[in-house]
Amino acid sequence: MLKLTPSKKRLFLFIIFGWILLILSNQVGDLKLYQGSFVATYALAITSIILLTGYSGQLSLGQSALMAVGAYAGALTIFNAGFHPVIGLLVAALVAGLFGLLLGLIVARLSGPYLAGTTLALAVSLPTLANQFSILGAEEGISFDVGLAPARFGEDFSQYKWYFWISSLAALIMVWFIANLLTSRYGRTYKALRDNPVAAELSGINVGQVKVGAFAISSGVAGLSGALLAVLISGVSPSAFPLSLSFALLTGAVVTGVYSLKGVILGGLVLVAIPEIADSLVSRIGGSEGFTTSLPGFLVSALLILAVVFAPNGPGSLIKRKHHKK
Amino acid sequence: MIRNKSMRRASLVSAIVVTGAMLLSTLPAQAATPGVTATEIKLGISSPLTGSAGLSYKKVPGAMKAYFNYINANGGVYGRKITLISRDDKYLPVRAATETTNLILKDNVFGLVGALGTATHAKAYKAAALAAKNVPDLFINTGFSGFTDQTKYPTTFMVLPTYAMEAKVIAKAIKDNFPGQPSVLIAQDDEFGTDGVAGFTAAGHKFSVANVLYPQGYFSTPGRDAAVITSLKGLLAAAPGSKPVIVLFGTTDVTAALLKAATDAGVEKSFTWYAGSVGADANTLLALGVKSTTIDGVVSASFMPDAKDLTDPYVKQFVAINTKYNKGITFDNYVLAAMNSAMLTVQALRAAGKNLTREGVMSAIETKGAKFASAGLVPLGYSATSRIGYNGYWVSQLNAKGEGKPFGGKLVVYTTDSGAGAVTVSTFVRPTMPKNGIPTNS
Repeated sequence: MLKLTPSKKRLFLFIIFGWILLILSNQVGDLKLYQGSFVATYALAITSIILLTGYSGQLSLGQSALMAVGAYAGALTIFNAGFHPVIGLLVAALVAGLFGLLLGLIVARLSGPYLAGTTLALAVSLPTLANQFSILGAEEGISFDVGLAPARFGEDFSQYKWYFWISSLAALIMVWFIANLLTSRYGRTYKALRDNPVAAELSGINVGQVKVGAFAISSGVAGLSGALLAVLISGVSPSAFPLSLSFALLTGAVVTGVYSLKGVILGGLVLVAIPEIADSLVSRIGGSEGFTTSLPGFLVSALLILAVVFAPNGPGSLIKRKHHKK
Repeated sequence: MIRNKSMRRASLVSAIVVTGAMLLSTLPAQAATPGVTATEIKLGISSPLTGSAGLSYKKVPGAMKAYFNYINANGGVYGRKITLISRDDKYLPVRAATETTNLILKDNVFGLVGALGTATHAKAYKAAALAAKNVPDLFINTGFSGFTDQTKYPTTFMVLPTYAMEAKVIAKAIKDNFPGQPSVLIAQDDEFGTDGVAGFTAAGHKFSVANVLYPQGYFSTPGRDAAVITSLKGLLAAAPGSKPVIVLFGTTDVTAALLKAATDAGVEKSFTWYAGSVGADANTLLALGVKSTTIDGVVSASFMPDAKDLTDPYVKQFVAINTKYNKGITFDNYVLAAMNSAMLTVQALRAAGKNLTREGVMSAIETKGAKFASAGLVPLGYSATSRIGYNGYWVSQLNAKGEGKPFGGKLVVYTTDSGAGAVTVSTFVRPTMPKNGIPTNS
């Protein structure tokens, strides 16, 4: 009997999952594909938060700014330098990672509310800063065009299926990479650091270095998700990365369970599905325009409170607890 | 194996049944065009209803709906009722992209009307594949000249004049009405402002000092407005006895901030304030706390009649519709502009004929749009090569009540283009309003 190591098993699972997505993409309509692309993108962004907050214990409210860095870097690579979109996505992750490295070096000494405050300031100021440079296209921003799907896929291959393939594949590869990282030696040092920094330092872990490393990798992941988001709206501009995006992603991470990577798709689904649920609720029970527009926010807040009260470690932990009771 | 076979047979049968049903249901001639049935035309709008931009623009979809309901109550468009589906994009590009895509893929609308914002709509246009799907993108609420590019936005029709046009007209009006006075430009540093700066450059206008360009949100920090006013006072010292013209090319909140700072410094009457059309909504200025004595005398560029001018037949009719179909909403410039766009939409749909198609509507605007009845006091510029709506401005001056009256008591209409063309005084006479505001064109 063939015995699989956990990492091989994980690779196998990711390939199967990718294959299921591929089959699904041929079964559903354009709207579902477009929503699916957002789920993949948000899931990736939530991954970056889980890596940073859940594993290395650093709280960032500036994830949207890091996404913006990646998106701008990718857009410039494609739009100004004329490179292939794949290179654009790689550059997005790399530049955001480097930016995160620099930022990490600066904020390594900060923790808790101070770190949150600094990253919050970044999220507020960075998009506005982008307005100052004409190369970044000011308020209108710059185009991030991955073009149409290759002709060999046929004429029926829609723009949305192309988006779905790109975002799902990029997200799958990146999440697989992070999942491997988290089960490796580095992942364990992250956890040690999060749970007790003093003990971690005593056992020979270079706390500063590990923190900066986690910050850089998390930024790279956020940068890639930012670039994917820009792909989905075919451009990047300062207002595409508002502070509210950071909070929404953090909500997604909390609902997912911030200590485990297993539910990231759930987090992405929640962010995409809530406006949809609100929409169908309103159309079913009717209501004023004010009701329609405030319902999604209300649902997200309610979900957040429920998650914190009943499943602070994510819905996965609820199932686990049930098993234990039996 | 057997199970597979029976399943295959069952799926084959159901596939044939479904295909047959679909074929049968598509037999009526109209079903080929999305959003159009024998009794209904579905239109969509993505605009901010909440958030900071929602404060001023949330009235737009409601006002359009009110006008459409009025038309529906009077027979609709060739018997079809117009339904407007409104989605809130909070003025965020990602939301605009997803909500517009929802309008196309989920709500299955025939076309879009009145989409709002430059950064938002540029993203939404591409994300929702409006060009590929040939979806009419009618009467968008932005003056960014980029939307006139027919290769990039083949289905878009603007309604506002471009910001570059406005700047050219302001330059001409300063030359005609305030000759020899020093002038300063204070503009928002984005595509809106730069479009404007380009217009002033094209018109050959030289400002006395360097342009003051500020990023969006700059004046939300206390003291910055006062600092700008202090620097403006330098002009008075440099040219005693003059009354410098200060051009405010920004949004209403900034216009309000600067006017209030000038009032606080006691110099509000030492300058001629020339507010661009975007930032000169008198109601909003008053609501933001600008004193009516300061508003009295502010010069502005406008292409619509004043929303408070009840002697204007269009305004009077729209006010009546607003009272009946848009209960509880104050009639202002936003409501007026929205109802006017709705009236243009009804004429476009009528001009396309009873057999309504997406191509039909767009070619109808190209061929007949320039003659559509509308409240605008300047001509419409639609043609096979131009997607610009209004192509000019008239010079208005606000009084203490916030009413915009023709500057110097005489209505002077200027027309121009977004490029190097000259600014000329137009003899345009507005088409008479259709009876009771119900278009009967074909």
